[in-house]
Amino acid sequence: MATILKTDKVCKYFDGVKAVDKVSIEVEEGIILGIIGPNGAGKTTLFNVLTGMLAETEGKVIYKNKDITKLSPQDITNIGMSRTFQNIKLFDHLSAHENVKIGFHTKTKTGFIDAIFKTKTYNNDEQKVNEKGIKLLKRVGLAEKQEILGQNLSYGDKRRLEIARALAVEPDLLLVDEPTAGMNAKETRTIVELLDKLNDEGITVIIIEHDMGVIMNLCDEIVVLNDGNVISRGDPNYVQNDPAVREAYLGKGAS
Amino acid sequence: MFWIRQIINGITQGSIYALMAIGYSLIFGKLLLVTFAFGEMVVFGVFVSYYLYAIVGLNLFLAIIIALPISWGLGMLVDKICYEKFRDEPRFLMLITTIGFGIFLKSFTQLIFGTGYRSYPNFIEGKIIVGGVRITYIQIFIILTTLLLLYGLNLFFKKTKLGVGIIALSNDLDAAKLVGINVNKSIKFGHSLGVVLGVFGGMMMVSYYNAIGASMGPILGLKAFTVVVFGGITSLPGAIIGGFTLGILENLSVATFGSGYKDIVAFVILILILVLRPSGLLGKKIDLF
Amino acid sequence: MFSNSKISNIIGNLKGIILENKLKIYLIILILALIFPFITNNQYYIYIGVLTLMYMILASSLNIIVGYTYQYLIGFAGFFAIGAYTTAIITTSFEVNFIFVFLISGIIASIFALLIGIPTSRLGGIFFAFATLGFGEIIRLIIINWDTLTRGTFGIPGIPRPKLFNFIINTNTNFYFFALLILLVQLFISYRVINSRVGRAWLSLKENSEAAKAMGIKIAKYRVLNLMYGTFWAGIGGAFYAYFTQYVSPDTFVLDEGFRIFAMVLVGGMGTLIGPIAGSGLLTILPELVREFARYQLIIYGVAILLIIHYRPQGLFGAKELAQAKVKDEK
Ligand SMILES: Nc1ncnc2c1ncn2[C@@H]1O[C@H](COP(=O)(O)OP(=O)(O)OP(=O)(O)O)[C@@H](O)[C@H]1O
Ligand SMILES: [Mg+2]
Repeated sequence: MATILKTDKVCKYFDGVKAVDKVSIEVEEGIILGIIGPNGAGKTTLFNVLTGMLAETEGKVIYKNKDITKLSPQDITNIGMSRTFQNIKLFDHLSAHENVKIGFHTKTKTGFIDAIFKTKTYNNDEQKVNEKGIKLLKRVGLAEKQEILGQNLSYGDKRRLEIARALAVEPDLLLVDEPTAGMNAKETRTIVELLDKLNDEGITVIIIEHDMGVIMNLCDEIVVLNDGNVISRGDPNYVQNDPAVREAYLGKGAS
Repeated sequence: MFWIRQIINGITQGSIYALMAIGYSLIFGKLLLVTFAFGEMVVFGVFVSYYLYAIVGLNLFLAIIIALPISWGLGMLVDKICYEKFRDEPRFLMLITTIGFGIFLKSFTQLIFGTGYRSYPNFIEGKIIVGGVRITYIQIFIILTTLLLLYGLNLFFKKTKLGVGIIALSNDLDAAKLVGINVNKSIKFGHSLGVVLGVFGGMMMVSYYNAIGASMGPILGLKAFTVVVFGGITSLPGAIIGGFTLGILENLSVATFGSGYKDIVAFVILILILVLRPSGLLGKKIDLF
Repeated sequence: MFSNSKISNIIGNLKGIILENKLKIYLIILILALIFPFITNNQYYIYIGVLTLMYMILASSLNIIVGYTYQYLIGFAGFFAIGAYTTAIITTSFEVNFIFVFLISGIIASIFALLIGIPTSRLGGIFFAFATLGFGEIIRLIIINWDTLTRGTFGIPGIPRPKLFNFIINTNTNFYFFALLILLVQLFISYRVINSRVGRAWLSLKENSEAAKAMGIKIAKYRVLNLMYGTFWAGIGGAFYAYFTQYVSPDTFVLDEGFRIFAMVLVGGMGTLIGPIAGSGLLTILPELVREFARYQLIIYGVAILLIIHYRPQGLFGAKELAQAKVKDEK
């Protein structure tokens, strides 16, 4: 299988804090990659660098054989990479449905003229965002809540809505940052199933997660970060038994 | 000779801007209080001193000395109305509250003191001629006073508990709380101090130009803001450099193009900085919105 | 004195009634607006009616900018001035169809918006506020100083009445209906734009610009587009003003004029189409009813903004509730 994403010694330093330090990873198309590591290991920062939200201090990011190191987040989204946020970032005063509609921005074309005269483009776009939007909401289990404002959704529903919105971009690579945080076991299972299904449909997934059950269940491969460095990588079995990983976690007093 | 005189005029004007900009930078750069009412507060404070001098008939220096604590009180009031409730809210709310307060204060000043321009007295009359260049006493007074105040402020921020506290909370709010700095009190104090510095700068300015009008506020605010952005929002030395730069450039442009477009200089500088170097000359980049 | 909760209760109830009968109420207001010139013979009332409608056009255009993308445009009067002077200069030199003059006035205002929008698009909030304050003042200074084009402080008199074939828009009543027509067209177009991909992009960057970026929305582009769209209508408002008063001078386009319109938007409620209409109606008609008010007008506007932000940040008819109301409507 081809490589969809590759990083070459990516670094991100904040005033001396080496949040991400010389991380080189390769992600094969079609897999689910887990990224784990203690709090503050640099996982979210790595996502921010990959998606162009933060400029890397050094290093290169290659996506679909294209150097995307200098691209803006918008351009990166445009070529099929999409994400959710650990600290949820919804459009709080808009309904769930409208949140998803906005996700279709890059997949629609309507401009001023189209909107004012309701041209064919406008009609096609509106039909598309309405129908596909509802479909996406159904997929994540929010069909009944499509008209509730973002800020009024429950915590778990907010996370689900973020996934639906990220899917509206029609990504080839989906980055999810702690998608099951704050969910109960049953809710967590629905997310795991959803991600698994999306993966079956051909979307490559990178997931940051603290819930080891989810990681072991879902991932084809795991990368372990600690203090900005990759300390281990491999299939779940290997990583689970890697002494370096145990040390990183136990050394910090976590499980 | 002509140009040397323009430069001296520019340095005088620059001293005034520097003082105002320090006040603004303290409020906006250090305390991160977004303010749109700064110029209006300055004009109000200056008018209070004018009122005490011209209407009540006090001695000018007495009038100024009374007007400064009143300006301090105005600073407290603005903090109460525009900031206190909104400290942890999105910052654009502060922008709106200060816009609202600015509109109120400007019109209030106009209502009480009239809409026309008033003549404001010189602090000191007289001039000396040095090597063929005329320098007025008020110019010397302004430059010296500014330098003295800047020195005093430097000591305040380095040596006093309050001053150190204000700098500390602007660097790291949480850490400042941990070491027991009273954040609310420090912000109130710093804000009022900034207002008073601005008002004092304003007094020197109107004394220098002999005129004050209630509608000057917004443009003064724009100039203080420009100077602060030019020097780098968080940097007090930057504000001083910015102040002198604007003062000198304004005077040179008046000498070259006439006075009709004097107020454009600040705007042009602002736009150029926004395009070329948004973090200013010396400032750290800060995330404002 | 009422307590806060009592006041907001009353407003809340009123709002409930209004929301439930939204369409009916809009229709009644429209009918009232249509018959208003026929129920009074007092020219002065009709004249005030025209001014009110003009402020509604202006407030609606500022609202698109402030309310839908949080760009705090302070120098709004500058764009209003550009529209008015464009019309004044063109019509006093050439004989051009007024529809064309209106469009040109709007487009020139938009072009200026593009120029000021690009350098300010990366930085929001107070940078934008001050940059546009400076911009507005500079437009005024240019008008005052470039007297070969603008006649400086004398202003430009003698702007001809707009003419369509043989019909001349002349009386207060003519202008009243003309303004109403412009306002309705503006609202119709704005409604369509806002409920499209473009309007959603505006909302997204106001709501959460990080998330908007992640959705591939080009923030700077949509900010500038928004500014250009809003100021287009400011230019149209300016053209209307020039035709109506037949005289433009720099005295009209002071910062205060912008502040006044800003207050209308905030008090009425930004981010909804109806908010600024209510705000400008209230703040134009009220001073006429209470003559004492005129002197204190801007003071009261300032206080009104402060009260609104403290007690009803969304304004009298603000976006928050209407967003929920919209949900109801769609069901
Ligand atoms: N914008 C920033 N400025 C300064 N330091 C930052 C910034 N963002 C992250 N850091 C620091 O970088 C390090 C890595 O943070 P990051 O959020 O990437 O960790 P993480 O692995 O996602 O942790 P968690 O599991 O808690 O989400 C931390 O030490 C954090 O304090
Ligand atoms: Mg994280």
